[in-house]
Amino acid sequence: MQHSSTSTDTRVKISASLVILAVMIIIGTLFYHQVIRYRFFAEQSESNRIRVQPVIPKRGLIYDRTMEVLADNRLSFTVSLVPFEQQDGVTVPKLSELLGLDSSEVEKRARTNFVSRYMPTPIKRGMGIDTVSILEEKGQYYPGITYSAESVRRYPDSISAETFLGHVGEVSNDEIKPDKKDYRLGSLIGKSGIEKRYDMLLRGLEGTRYIEVSAKGQIVGVYEGKQEIPALAGSDLVLTIDRELQQFIVRNFDSVQCCGAVVAMNPKTGGILAIASFPHFDPNIFSGVVPPDIWQGIVSDTNHPLLNRPLAGLYPPGSTSKLVTAGAALELGLVNENTVLKPCFGGMQFGNRFFRCWEPGGHGRLDMYGGIERSCDVYFYQLGQLLGVDAWADYARKCGFGDKSGIDLTGEKAGIVPTSTYYDDIFGKRKWSPYLILNLAIGQGEFTITPLQLAQFYCGLANHGVVNQPHLLKQIIEPTGEVHDVEPVLAYNLPFSQRTIDILRESLKLVTAGDHGTARSLRNKYYAVAGKTGTAQNPHGDNHSWFAAFAPADDANIVVVVLVENAGHGSEVAAPLAGKIMKYYLLERLPATIAMEETARN
Amino acid sequence: MSIDYRHLDWKLIGAALILSIIGILLIYSAQYDAATGASQDYYIKQMLWVCMALFAFIIIIHIPLRMIDFLAYLFYALGLVLLMLVFFIGHSKYGAARWFSLGPINVTPSDIAKLALLITLSRFLAYTKLRPQSIRRLLISTLITVIPVGMVIVQPDLGTSMVFVALLFSLWFWSGLSPFYIILIISPLISLLTAFHWLTWVVYLVILIGFILAFRPGFLSGSLAVTVNLFFGILAPIVWNRLADYQKLRILTFLDPGRDPRGAGYQIIQSKIAVGSGGLIGKGYLEGSQSQLKFLPERHTDFIFSVLGEEFGFVGTLIVVVLFAYIFYRGIMIAARCRSKFTSYLAWGAMTILIFQFFINVGMTIGLMPVTGLPLPLLSYGGTSQILSWALISLLVLADYHWTEY
Repeated sequence: MQHSSTSTDTRVKISASLVILAVMIIIGTLFYHQVIRYRFFAEQSESNRIRVQPVIPKRGLIYDRTMEVLADNRLSFTVSLVPFEQQDGVTVPKLSELLGLDSSEVEKRARTNFVSRYMPTPIKRGMGIDTVSILEEKGQYYPGITYSAESVRRYPDSISAETFLGHVGEVSNDEIKPDKKDYRLGSLIGKSGIEKRYDMLLRGLEGTRYIEVSAKGQIVGVYEGKQEIPALAGSDLVLTIDRELQQFIVRNFDSVQCCGAVVAMNPKTGGILAIASFPHFDPNIFSGVVPPDIWQGIVSDTNHPLLNRPLAGLYPPGSTSKLVTAGAALELGLVNENTVLKPCFGGMQFGNRFFRCWEPGGHGRLDMYGGIERSCDVYFYQLGQLLGVDAWADYARKCGFGDKSGIDLTGEKAGIVPTSTYYDDIFGKRKWSPYLILNLAIGQGEFTITPLQLAQFYCGLANHGVVNQPHLLKQIIEPTGEVHDVEPVLAYNLPFSQRTIDILRESLKLVTAGDHGTARSLRNKYYAVAGKTGTAQNPHGDNHSWFAAFAPADDANIVVVVLVENAGHGSEVAAPLAGKIMKYYLLERLPATIAMEETARN
Repeated sequence: MSIDYRHLDWKLIGAALILSIIGILLIYSAQYDAATGASQDYYIKQMLWVCMALFAFIIIIHIPLRMIDFLAYLFYALGLVLLMLVFFIGHSKYGAARWFSLGPINVTPSDIAKLALLITLSRFLAYTKLRPQSIRRLLISTLITVIPVGMVIVQPDLGTSMVFVALLFSLWFWSGLSPFYIILIISPLISLLTAFHWLTWVVYLVILIGFILAFRPGFLSGSLAVTVNLFFGILAPIVWNRLADYQKLRILTFLDPGRDPRGAGYQIIQSKIAVGSGGLIGKGYLEGSQSQLKFLPERHTDFIFSVLGEEFGFVGTLIVVVLFAYIFYRGIMIAARCRSKFTSYLAWGAMTILIFQFFINVGMTIGLMPVTGLPLPLLSYGGTSQILSWALISLLVLADYHWTEY
C-alpha cells in the first residue's frame, strides 16, 4: 500500500513535469507551424483569399452591309440568393414580390440551384435594370439578395435572324477540347450560324484578373500583387445581308404563307443579300435560359421551325432544274436550240406507261426555247431519255447539286443527285425502270436540292457561267479599327459553253417576256427578268411552289429563289413574291445603297 | 476584512492583467472592418467585462476564506439551479443551449458551475476523514461531479463536462490519491477505445494486467479493475454493432468533430492556416487576412488565439504562452505552500481549470485537440468567461495571501 498516497513534494514534481511537457508541446507545435511550415501556410492563406477571375471580352458586333446592327450585347441581370445571409420569413417573401414569382417557386429554385451556403444561388435570370435599381437603393430591405450582371446577345426579332446569325449558348462538355484552352465551363460559344462559324473572330481573348475575396466569397477588391491581363475584344463582322431586304422578305412572306424559304444573292460576288426560313422564331429565346413551355412549343410545332430550310431543307427542284437537263443535252450535242422533238399531247407514252405533262391540253411541237418558256414536261422527258441517268447526273453534280455549297453557315445539307449506282443500291442491280430518268429530267423523283443550291446555280446562269462561293461575311473590323475585306472566291464554272449559257438565258427571259411564258406577271418596264417556275410534287401534301430568277436579265444584280411549301404552281405563289423582292431591291434598296456608299466614299 | 495590499502577488495579477488587455486588443482586431475603419463594439463590451471582472477580483480577495468554506454547498446548489434554468429559458446557438439572458447580460451557468464545483469538491475533500483511495470518498466526490456533468452534457457541452471531470481527477491527485489509482479509474475508458479491434484490446489488457501486478493495489481493487475492463471491452463491440449507422456517426462526430469537414473540420483548417501563415513575427496588427476576411470562424471567442498567431506570429504566441506558464507555475507553488488543505485545494483546482482550458483551447487552434467550444481564459470574448477567469486568479491570490493560515 505504499502507492496509496503521495507526498506534496512528489505531487509538485509530477504536476510540474506534466505542465512543462504540455507547454513544450504547445511551443513546439507553434514553432513547427509558424516557423518551419510557414511557407506552406502562407501559400494556403494567399490562395484562400485570392481568386483568379476571367475578364470576359466584349463579343464582336454583327452588322449588315449598310452597317445596321444585327447582333449586339446588352446587360442582363441575374438575381440571386445567398443562403448564409438569408433571413427567415423576410428574404423569400421579399424576393417573390420583387421577381413576381410564387414563394414556393422561389424556394424550389433556391433548392435546385444551391451550390454552397456562401455562394449566390441564381433565382431568376434576364432581369432588367429597373429590378436591379430597387436592390441598389433599398438593399437593406432585401437581406441575402444579390445580383450579378452578364452580357447577353441581342438579335432583331422577326427578320428570321436565326437562319443566318444563329445564336450563342453556354459551351457544352463536348465542345471543350483538351487541346483548346479558349473555352472553359460557362463560356459562351456560338451554337449555330455566323455566331458558330466565326466564333473565334467574335469572341476575342479572355483576360485574367486577380481579386481578393472574403470567406463568404464577397469581393473585397482588386488584388494588387499581380498584374491584370486585359481582355482582347472580339472583331466586329459586316455581313453581305441587306437588313431592309431581309425584313421586306419576311414581312411579305409571313403575310401570305406559312412555310418555305427565300434566298437572295448577288451573283457577281456570291454574297447573300437575304436568307430566310419560314416559319421563323425569335433567336433571343436562347439568351439566358429558354422557358420550357416556349421551347416545347417550338420543338413540337408540326411546321418544324427549327429546320433551317434554305440550307437544310431538301426538296425536289421541279421545273427549275430543267435548265440542267437542257444545258447537258445542248452541251453533249444531242440537240440544238432549234431541234423540235416529238409533240406534246398532254403527255407521252414511254414503254407501258403514260407520262403526263403538267398541261393536260398539251403543248404541241416545241423547240428548246418553247420547251423552257412553257416548261413542257414532254419535251424534257425526251431530253432525259436521250441523256440517260449518268450523263444527266454528271451535269447535275457539276452544276453544284448533290454537294454542299460551302457557305459560311452551319448545318448545310448536300441533297441527292441519283446515279445508276444509286438506283442499283436501292433497287438492286438493273432492277429499276430505265424511265426513272424521265422524272429526274423534270426535277422530280429522288432528286433533292436545297434552295441555296438552286440560287447558286442561277447565279452561275446570271453571271455567264462563273459561280462564286456563296458567303455572308463581307468585312472583318478588328478592335483596332483595321478593316479586312472579304474577296469573292470562285467556286466553279458551270459545265456549259458560253453559247449554251446564252441559249439558256434567252429561254429564261422568255419565261417572263414570252407570250406563253409561265411567269408573265413579272414583266415590267424597268428591267428584264429571267426566271423559271417550278412545281415540286410532294407525296405528303400539296405541291411545293418554286421560283428562281435573276434581274436585270442581262447584267444581273440579284438572284432570288423562293420556295413556298404546299402552295401549288410556282407561277401562282412563288413567282409574284420573287417579283416583289426583285422590284424592292432593284428600285429601292440598290440605289439607296449605292448612294450611301458614294456618300461614305466622299 | 482589511488586506495589506503590499503582500498580494502583484506579479501574478500583472500577468493576468496583461493577458486581459491583449485579449481586448485581439477582439478589436477580430471584429475590425477595413471598409469602415472601425471595429464592432465587442471590444468595448469586453473592456466593460474586464472592469467588472477586476471589481469581482477586488471583492473576492476581501472575502474571508472561512465564508467561502461555509457557503460551499449553498454555492453548489445555486450552480445546479442555474444549470437547470438553461433548460427552460436558455438560448441556443448552433443547436446547443448554453446561456440565458438576465436583463442585458447573457449568463453562461456552466462557467458559474465550474466555480461552484471547485469550491464544493475542495470543501468535501479537505474535511473528509476518509483515506484518499477509499471507495466511499471516491464515490461521493464522483457523485458531486456527475450531477453537473450530466446537466451540461445534455446541453450538449462536451467541453465544460470535460472541465468538471478534469477538476475531479486533479483534486483527487492533489488530495493524495496515487496517480496509479487514477490510471486504474480511467482504464475502462481506454478499454472502450481500444476495443474497436480485438488485437489492440488484447495488447492493452496485457499491459493493464502487467501494470496491476507491478503496483499491487490489493486483490479487491485489482480484480475489480480487470473485471470492469473486461466488461467494457467485451460489451463495446456488441453494442456498437447493434447501433444504426446514423447513431454511430453521431457518436463519432461527438468524439471527433473534425470528421465533419464543412463544420468543425473547416474551422480547424482555417485556424491552422491563420496561425501558420503568421510566421515568425506575424502579418501585423489588423493585417491578418484570415481574420480580417472572415475565413477564421469564432474569431473573437474560441479562436482568439489564432488571431494572435496570425497577426503577431511566433513571437506573439510565445509571449502569451509564457505569461500563462508563469500563472501555472505560480499556481503550483501557491497550492504547494498553503498550510490549510481547503485553501490548497481551492488554489489547485483554480489552476487546474485555467490550465485545462488553456491547453484544450490552444491545442484546438493548432489542431492538437478537437473543437470543443471552450474559451481561452482571460483572452476570449465573453462576460462570464472573463469574470470566471478573474475569480480563479483571485482564488490563487487569496490562497497565496492566506497561505500561513490553517
